[in-house]
Amino acid sequence: MPGYYDIDDIIMEEEPISVVFQVGAHGVGLLDPGSETNNVENGAKVDLPFWLAHELYLRQAVSISVPACFSQKTRKEIQADAACVDLRIRCPYFYELGCKIVPLVSDKSIGSFLHYAFTGRYKEILSKSHSASVVTVPKFSTRLTKEESQLFEAARSSMLAFKKWRLGGSRLEKASILGRKRKTTIPACPSTP
Amino acid sequence: MYGRRASQLLRELACSETGQLTAFNSDAFDQVIKECNEHNLQLQSLIRKIEDENLDIQTTRNEDHFGAVIHHLSLIRNKRCLMAYMYNRAETIQSLRWKVGPVLPQEIQEKLNYSEEECFKNHSAAIQSYMSELDLDLTVDMVPPKDPYIRVRVLDDIGEVCLGDHSISLTKHSLHFLRRTDAEPFISQGMMEEFLE
Repeated sequence: MPGYYDIDDIIMEEEPISVVFQVGAHGVGLLDPGSETNNVENGAKVDLPFWLAHELYLRQAVSISVPACFSQKTRKEIQADAACVDLRIRCPYFYELGCKIVPLVSDKSIGSFLHYAFTGRYKEILSKSHSASVVTVPKFSTRLTKEESQLFEAARSSMLAFKKWRLGGSRLEKASILGRKRKTTIPACPSTP
Repeated sequence: MYGRRASQLLRELACSETGQLTAFNSDAFDQVIKECNEHNLQLQSLIRKIEDENLDIQTTRNEDHFGAVIHHLSLIRNKRCLMAYMYNRAETIQSLRWKVGPVLPQEIQEKLNYSEEECFKNHSAAIQSYMSELDLDLTVDMVPPKDPYIRVRVLDDIGEVCLGDHSISLTKHSLHFLRRTDAEPFISQGMMEEFLE
């Protein structure tokens, strides 16, 4: 269960979900760009962020349709070669959103689809994170979702920590927050008289 | 869209590296608060409308009710975003006490807003009073030591410093053999580095 202050969870809940209003609502015309009054009519089809769509669904005010990132087209692509699909462009929080959307829609095959996609991509993430070079960001990482790149970074940084430990060397370091400031102050120095 | 600006505030936080601070975005913060006030006004006018029609506020499920619900949810959402923004920054700011010390450099100080400065001061004072109660400096030995003494190179002209029972002149590029606990604050502030053969 994500925490109240979890930034990733909050940003994930901003993902747009297409809904159809089952009731009308007054005073919220901003939600429906096609509306001429300040109201949303019964039957209006609009995109709402997940946090709003979810709560309204629980109050039976809207019906939710499956987001495009779980469409048949994406599923076919994942089946063809899971590792090559650019999931970030489809939804940066592909798995988290998938888990949260399952109880809200009638299509129950999303769960197994997520599992299939993740197991297909995991091996590649793991092997590349261990062999990736330290400085450059590998090209394939732009295809990863947020969850996958966190996994990738975790594996990469533990690999780096292991290498550092094996070589020995200084363990005391300057506070990382100061390191950056220095770089920004040096170019500023010549300009000051 | 409702709540969009508040989530942009958090995106800004998510984009910065962990442990780094960006300047407090008081413009966006105030705008979100303004949005909250707007939602509150709309919410109250919708509720008043339901009451004026002599309907029961608990059971009515008409268009006005759902409008009010949406404004209410948006308020709660904005609150969560603002709270998360403050909370996550406060975490970073508190960690500075352990990494940088009780006095923040100017360039970091500039990025804090007034309440964050207060938070840092109070947090710092709390740690200080606890440490003096224990008679132990908890901020040293953040990395488990192998040896009580280390060799260091001075990177900045620090000048005459009193360490333990004797004073020592720390000039730039000089090498010293110091007690690790004495050297540690200088290293974390970037004025010294550990010297390895």
